[in-house]
Amino acid sequence: MPGSRTVAIAWAVAAKDLAIEWRTKTALLASLVFAVLVLAILFFARDATAVPTLDVAPGALWVTFSFAAMLGLNRAFLLERENHALDGIRLTPASPTALFLGKMLGNLVFVGVVELVSLPLFVLFYDVAIWQGLPVLLLVMALATVGFVAVGTLLSAMVVRTRFSEVMLPVLLLPFLLPPVVSAVQLTWRILAARPLAELSGWLSMLAAFDVIFVVLSVLLFEAILIE
Amino acid sequence: MQSADPPVAVRGLSRRYGGRWVLRDVSLSVAPGEVMLLVGHNGAGKTTLLRVLAGLVRPTRGEVVRCAPPGVVAHHSMLYDALTARENLAFFARLHGVADRGRVPHLLDRLGLAAVADQRIATFSRGMLQRLAIARALLDDPALLLLDEPLNGLDEAATDIVLNVLEERRVRGGAVVVASHQFAELVALATRIGYLVAGRLAALEPLATRNAGQILERYRALARAG
Amino acid sequence: MTRLERARRTARRGTILTAVALAGLAAVYVRALAFTPIERFQGPAQKIFYVHAPAAWAALLAFTITGVLSVLYLLLRDRRLDVVAASSAEVGVAFSVVMLTTGPIWGKPIWGTWWTWDARLTSTLFIFLLFTGYLVLRGALGDREVRATYSAVLGVLALVLVPFIHVTVYWFRTLHPEPIVAKPGAPSLPGVMLVTLLSSLAVFTLLYVGFIMQRYALGVVREAREEGDLDAGA
Repeated sequence: MPGSRTVAIAWAVAAKDLAIEWRTKTALLASLVFAVLVLAILFFARDATAVPTLDVAPGALWVTFSFAAMLGLNRAFLLERENHALDGIRLTPASPTALFLGKMLGNLVFVGVVELVSLPLFVLFYDVAIWQGLPVLLLVMALATVGFVAVGTLLSAMVVRTRFSEVMLPVLLLPFLLPPVVSAVQLTWRILAARPLAELSGWLSMLAAFDVIFVVLSVLLFEAILIE
Repeated sequence: MQSADPPVAVRGLSRRYGGRWVLRDVSLSVAPGEVMLLVGHNGAGKTTLLRVLAGLVRPTRGEVVRCAPPGVVAHHSMLYDALTARENLAFFARLHGVADRGRVPHLLDRLGLAAVADQRIATFSRGMLQRLAIARALLDDPALLLLDEPLNGLDEAATDIVLNVLEERRVRGGAVVVASHQFAELVALATRIGYLVAGRLAALEPLATRNAGQILERYRALARAG
Repeated sequence: MTRLERARRTARRGTILTAVALAGLAAVYVRALAFTPIERFQGPAQKIFYVHAPAAWAALLAFTITGVLSVLYLLLRDRRLDVVAASSAEVGVAFSVVMLTTGPIWGKPIWGTWWTWDARLTSTLFIFLLFTGYLVLRGALGDREVRATYSAVLGVLALVLVPFIHVTVYWFRTLHPEPIVAKPGAPSLPGVMLVTLLSSLAVFTLLYVGFIMQRYALGVVREAREEGDLDAGA
């Protein structure tokens, strides 16, 4: 179990990452613009007379979230490569677990901001009623995001060493998106359609299981990656 | 910081990158309070040796025994351009678990950076960056300080500050290993000198002379022999 | 015996095994085409099944072995485990391609559709994609130890992922059943067909092992060449 020092260090790493991102803002803006564009394109990419928005909306939302997230996942480790800052971190007593959790937390905040800004736009474009189910929807967003950000953070730590890291991350990460995104879409559809909560339990447990297993696995595997 | 054990020792150390052996069968032990100067051509293995001593690179063969993590000043600053000097030090201080809140201001002062502490380091000159890197290396008062070409591109004032800091380390019982091919200024401080020729430690001996020219002669003689 | 000599011996044995397996494969084909009765409902197209199912089995076997060896590599750090894992991935890609191409060829005449998103086919598609990602990652990393470690990490992640994919697709399908009459599986086969199927499974397994042995030997030789000289040095 992480001790308080691990948490403190994770927090310091995340705060540092977010401070740096805030000062440059490039990745954040790129992700937001991308999200808006994808939402718009998916809205128009159907026969509006044949396909009601409710059928398309959940998929559009989650494709937007996951792809916009992928744009931002690499920044966390790319910024450690300039000036070899990662070596500086490896020279401290900070544990790899603390470093990973910090990076993951930074990524979660980044992706969270993108999602929370895109959500109102989604409601606007697709004209769906989310007020009733908003708390549950936010829970689903949190659960699904944790899952793919955990794996994405681990994979980005590996691919930033390659020359084509921007391409390699999606290639490796996309298969891992299937369980959380399918579950999230199924849940989002049911929430938007105001289905009873009992219908959600199966997919929610899938999300929870995926999260627990892959967060733990990613934390355990990260230490192996910090080698020269 | 005081301790009788060598802060770091290696035995039979060899390291390979791809098809090339960069270090071959190097053995040495650093004593507390000594300043070891490593000299060698580019490509002789100085940087790799320092990285192995630092714990950043694992040996292909041989073993490394280390008492505590060292402070390291390398070719890259290992700092974040978008943060200020103070923020950089504060971050690494937290990672090192440095409890003393006065440590960061003290180091900024000592390295002559107090005036620019709140400037983003992207604007720093090489000399300022190097001094900040040294400050970072000294955050947790390490028993061992490793420096790779520390005087590269520094002006006279900055060089003086650095040499001052190294001398202070030695006097307080810390160990220093510095690799440089610009050793004229460092010779005055050094207690032992190691000659790296094509990955081998051709000789490791107390300084016989403080004359840079004679040291160069010795190096050439060893290179010819090896 | 040096590593190179051992590797060459493995290659020779692997080649012999592969030759035997290929002969066995020819025999199975003959049996399947000439000596096994035509299935009543599906017609002659059903015979592709004798290639499709064993290829799927071999792909799954290759994938599981890559995954398990990845775990072992991270625990034991024996370089040979990495070479075998990578060999298994390459061989597995080949078998998955066979499975993914025979599937539609079988499916079209029988179900009227080229592709069906059922759990087994989709899982194998993802196994193929994960294998490909694994090999692409390996190709992008030069340092041998980094390559072995990172591949192993990906291998472990992939191994844990596939069951999730299978369950996800299965649940999805039970909610959205598609009107397909015949399942791409082997319910209860009469004796003659079962024997053909099992023989095919055995032959494919032998093929897998033979290919792995040859690929492993090639991998060892290749790494030796990369290192310059394997046994000389410091």
